[in-house]
Amino acid sequence: MKTNIRFTHQELVEKSKLGDRNSQFQLYEQYVDAMYNVSMRMLCSKEDAEDTVQDSFVEAFKNLGNFRYESTFGSWLKRIVINKSINHLKLKRIPLVPIIDHEYHLTEEPIENIKDIDIEKVKRGIKQLPPGYQQIIHLYLIEGYDHEEIGEVLEISKSTSKSQYHRAKKKLLEIIKEM
Amino acid sequence: MDYFEKHIRDNKALFDEHKADRSKMWAKIESELSNTNPKVVPLWKSPLFRVAASIVLVLLLSILIGITVYGGQQSGSQNNVVSQELLDIDMHYSNLVQHQVQLVKNHPDLSQEDKNEFLSFMDELDEEYGVLKLEMEKNLGNERVLEAIIGNYKKRIELIENLLRQINDSKMINDDYGYTL
Repeated sequence: MKTNIRFTHQELVEKSKLGDRNSQFQLYEQYVDAMYNVSMRMLCSKEDAEDTVQDSFVEAFKNLGNFRYESTFGSWLKRIVINKSINHLKLKRIPLVPIIDHEYHLTEEPIENIKDIDIEKVKRGIKQLPPGYQQIIHLYLIEGYDHEEIGEVLEISKSTSKSQYHRAKKKLLEIIKEM
Repeated sequence: MDYFEKHIRDNKALFDEHKADRSKMWAKIESELSNTNPKVVPLWKSPLFRVAASIVLVLLLSILIGITVYGGQQSGSQNNVVSQELLDIDMHYSNLVQHQVQLVKNHPDLSQEDKNEFLSFMDELDEEYGVLKLEMEKNLGNERVLEAIIGNYKKRIELIENLLRQINDSKMINDDYGYTL
């Protein structure tokens, strides 16, 4: 079953590999909103997100020959969008990870669980977080990346990703609680 | 995964709150894709091209070696022709000069002093000829050297001819005088 998911849109992907513009457009239609939202969450700028998503689709279609169905086309494309968004943040010198010293916090303090959280509050709460915390919350909670993948994307260790996520989540819950 | 995380992930679709300007973005993507040069497959990756390139390389090398060797031979034979030509000229003039020098030496009406003076001129011209010949060996293609060698011979012949004419003239005057008497 899992194998079948990887081959989602296989026909469109294969035709797009051959340069079929109509198939490329159909793939674009399928994924553009999702990719735009990924980039918007990271960059918080309409223009930057549009540029990033456009570049990502162009790169994806140009390098589609390298896509070997090791993941779904959507995951492959999302990785391109996330990498381009991260590069954009680097160019703007926006910190990807909080500058707070984190290496000496070896234990995670327990976080009080909150039930029946309003998603709108979560969205607003995330926007109030420092940029570095926002990225890690987006990548882990919304994009569904594990700490190993986050480590690769942000060029940090798995343990740093874990500790930063823990702190970010704690901070987010505090903000939500105060709303 | 705690309740909070599960709750967020279950509702992650709610985080997709933005709508892309689809037509505007596609127009740019399509334009970028259209501007892209067609994918170039490097020729050297094709095995056929590698074979063809090898053949061309071998042919080029053969031609180069051929030109070097054959060209060298041709140049050698050209040098031989020039050298032979020079040898023939040298032989011709040398014989001519030797013959005339011998005539001067054997001439009964010339005093020993005149003969010595003449031969010392010839020795100087011989030395000059030696230098020119060495120069000619170094540079066979130098026409000026060749001309100088021929000039050297002509000067010697001219000298001898002048001398012999003078001798004959004086002989004729004496004869006329005798005839008048």
